[in-house]
Amino acid sequence: MAFFSKRKGSARQSDTYTSTKGKGGKQTDKVEPLTADLDVNARVIGDRLGGSLDIVLRELRSAGKESIRLIVVYIDSIVDHRMIQEGILSPLADSPIPPLDLQDSGQDNNRQGSIIVGIAKHILSIGTIRSITTIEEALEALLGGSCLILAESEQTALAADVSGGEQRAVTEASTQTVIRGPQHSFTENCMTNIGLLRRIIRSSELRIHCLYIGRHTNTRIAVVYIEGIADAGVVNEMNRRLRAIDIDGVLESGYVEEFIQDKTFTPFPTLMNVERPDVVAAGLLEGQVAVIVDGTPFVLLAPVTFFKFFQSAEDYYQRYDISTFLRMLRHFAFVVSMLLPATYIAVTTFHQEMLPTTLLISLAAQREGVPFPALAEALLMEITFEVLREAGVRMPRAIGPAISIVGALVLGQAAVQAGLVSPAMVIAVSFTAISNFVTPQFNIAIAARLIRFSLMLLAGALGFFGIITGIIVVLTHLAGLRSFGVPYMTPAAPLLPSSLKDILIRVPRWAMSTRPLAIGGGKRKKDAKAPPWQRRSSGPEEE
Amino acid sequence: MGALGKYQIVVMTVMFELGSTPLFELGIEAKQDAWLAMLFASLAGLVLTWIYLRIQLRFPSYGLNELLRAHLGRILGAAVSLLFAVYFIYEASRNVRDFSELTVMTILQQTPQWIIIAIVCLIGLYAAWKGTTVFFRVVELLFPIVFVSYAFILLLLIVSRLSNYHRLLPMLEHGVAPVLNAAFPDIVSFPFGQMVVFLVFWHRVKENKRLGRAAVWAYIVVAFFLTLMNALTISILGPEIASISSLPLLEVVQLIRFASFLERVDVFVTLLLYIGLYVKMTLFYMAAILVVNGIFPKSYRTYAVVIIVLIAAMAFLEPDHTTFIWIGLTVSVKIFPLFQIVIPLLLLVIGALRGLGSNKGVDGGAAAEK
Repeated sequence: MAFFSKRKGSARQSDTYTSTKGKGGKQTDKVEPLTADLDVNARVIGDRLGGSLDIVLRELRSAGKESIRLIVVYIDSIVDHRMIQEGILSPLADSPIPPLDLQDSGQDNNRQGSIIVGIAKHILSIGTIRSITTIEEALEALLGGSCLILAESEQTALAADVSGGEQRAVTEASTQTVIRGPQHSFTENCMTNIGLLRRIIRSSELRIHCLYIGRHTNTRIAVVYIEGIADAGVVNEMNRRLRAIDIDGVLESGYVEEFIQDKTFTPFPTLMNVERPDVVAAGLLEGQVAVIVDGTPFVLLAPVTFFKFFQSAEDYYQRYDISTFLRMLRHFAFVVSMLLPATYIAVTTFHQEMLPTTLLISLAAQREGVPFPALAEALLMEITFEVLREAGVRMPRAIGPAISIVGALVLGQAAVQAGLVSPAMVIAVSFTAISNFVTPQFNIAIAARLIRFSLMLLAGALGFFGIITGIIVVLTHLAGLRSFGVPYMTPAAPLLPSSLKDILIRVPRWAMSTRPLAIGGGKRKKDAKAPPWQRRSSGPEEE
Repeated sequence: MGALGKYQIVVMTVMFELGSTPLFELGIEAKQDAWLAMLFASLAGLVLTWIYLRIQLRFPSYGLNELLRAHLGRILGAAVSLLFAVYFIYEASRNVRDFSELTVMTILQQTPQWIIIAIVCLIGLYAAWKGTTVFFRVVELLFPIVFVSYAFILLLLIVSRLSNYHRLLPMLEHGVAPVLNAAFPDIVSFPFGQMVVFLVFWHRVKENKRLGRAAVWAYIVVAFFLTLMNALTISILGPEIASISSLPLLEVVQLIRFASFLERVDVFVTLLLYIGLYVKMTLFYMAAILVVNGIFPKSYRTYAVVIIVLIAAMAFLEPDHTTFIWIGLTVSVKIFPLFQIVIPLLLLVIGALRGLGSNKGVDGGAAAEK
């Protein structure tokens, strides 16, 4: 696949990414096995963790005649205490470990290992348990939120998954809101997020693969797709790119996004980030692959096309005619947010003759006292607005109202009255700003903001000629972009007529009988035909 | 580089032929019968297109270089390829010059031409840098804009009732001779004969079987549209004004007054012409790169840079607009038919005599182009 960009592969290739217990994250150059000496094992583990505050090493003896010395190790801050208490500590203390000959698998007469097997099979009431033979595995399990059970004269230990601790509950989506539709959003917990998806797509075809990225953070990353719908090539490529990542830490899906996108030098996002489970589910059903990164509610979706960024989840929950109108409105607003200030500059600087005379006179009168050329005026206002906007995001919530006062009154009205800018320019800048917020996906709106500035400069220098040059360059750039091998401007260029049903317009649900061709492989048929009561009758309705 | 779709060829044909053509009132020597000259020329162009397609379909996987080599032999084929490259470069440079002349005449009167030429060459280079596949996609993206705009202009021209068919009368006042004189070879060579450039690109089309039909239909549609625009211009301006105006189409749209706010649409029309010129220029430019790279295979991008510099330099050849137009309308149109008519006809005859392509020559060799 020549179209996938080359990137520097790292040596940390591991084929464990397909298992849910993969451990591709850490480079294990030397493997230290557990010894038969309980105290040595405990000491080594304690030393490797550097005696941190929250490490708990609890020694206890099992119940029964043949009392066995056990050590339970866990990290206090990332486990669920109730599970430790009820699932590990009290069973260990209360019930005796059955000797090997009483256990059902009696063929192995070696005493070695019987205690651990006995504990695992008969005592612990924890769902996920695995056995561990090396110090490295033990550390990894501990740091992942497992509780380690070491037994006397055993070279195997048990890791029981008791991860827990404080985390945010599932709440309403805060950045990608809808009026109608499911309101919950992803959380910071990878498992919770997978659960949210599982609850929507109850299909055995849903595949979830895990891998760990980040030398220090060892962050869990889940790749989710639907077998048979998602293109196998895209899934493989996604895994390949993810495994090639070599980084100290992954704190947000943005880290991953920068590594796995097809092209770095572009303002346009080639992966989508979503905080709504329904949107991700819809993407999966169309053949996209989702990447869930532990620690962030923003899930990545790929491959995406340019037009995907203008589809809101709500488009599919509302009537199609209304959705179509809103969809067109969004595209229009996107164009406005890129072009309006540039057009204003071009018209007032170079092409005044385009305006009707009355409007021209009124504009000229407004600009009479303005000391700057239109370009400087527009840049001044645009930058002011960008600063206001950034301040609005960053400042402490309590001072919120101050921004609106300063922004609206001082910078808007007062600037006009002081003769620094013309009222028409304030209107243009405000409308541009508002238009920029219409786009459902925030990151493509930022692309429009960046391009807006270069177009303004071009318009200031060369008028409409500059604007059309800029547009051609942007279009060329867009036409050359790919997202996981899918041309970015599909289905407009290259044209796929059957996929145009969900671009500028949205046709009724039942008319979307095929999946978008470019993204999904596999089965094409999606929905059924129109239900019989909706099929067009040949004449007017009788009765 | 990837294959092209049938639709992409259709769109490119339309956009390419459209190009800057509506800008000029072609065949105005025939006075009110200019549109008839246009019609005859487009019919001749249709025959030419058919010839090009015949040649192409003999070896569906061959580009221009391979076609010439297959017909004329190695040495002669390469020599003629080189001539074609020069021709493409010159056509591209004329488009660049058109671009700058149009800009300086209409919307940027005070900007030096070299700035415009430099910028146009840079955006052409950018497209070439990204490759043919991307460029065809860009044109696909531009097509809806152009289509809607022209439809809108037509609508405005119709509702503002500027057109008067009496200006097209009397038909054939002085017989057929002046019409044919205007049509041949001038209009045939610009724009219709320029279809020859597609010999460089046709072989990349995925569905070769349907190529002929798609190309011919696209050609017919755009030829009809160009003839219509031509007739509209005369019916609005009348033959006298149309013949003395340097940019008749802009004169026409300046007359549009609609609902007292759409008064100066001509700036937008200029932008439309820009898009057309850009498409045309870049296609010729890319054809030149591909042909040269086919003769002396080296690096596509090196040639892209070298050739765009050549194009920019050649755009400065003519000292002023009058010379530029004079060379374009008198000298060039006498040389261009060599490439558009004479050589293709030769190829057709040679191919027929040698029976090329009739037997299993369909996949004689893979296209060597990048």
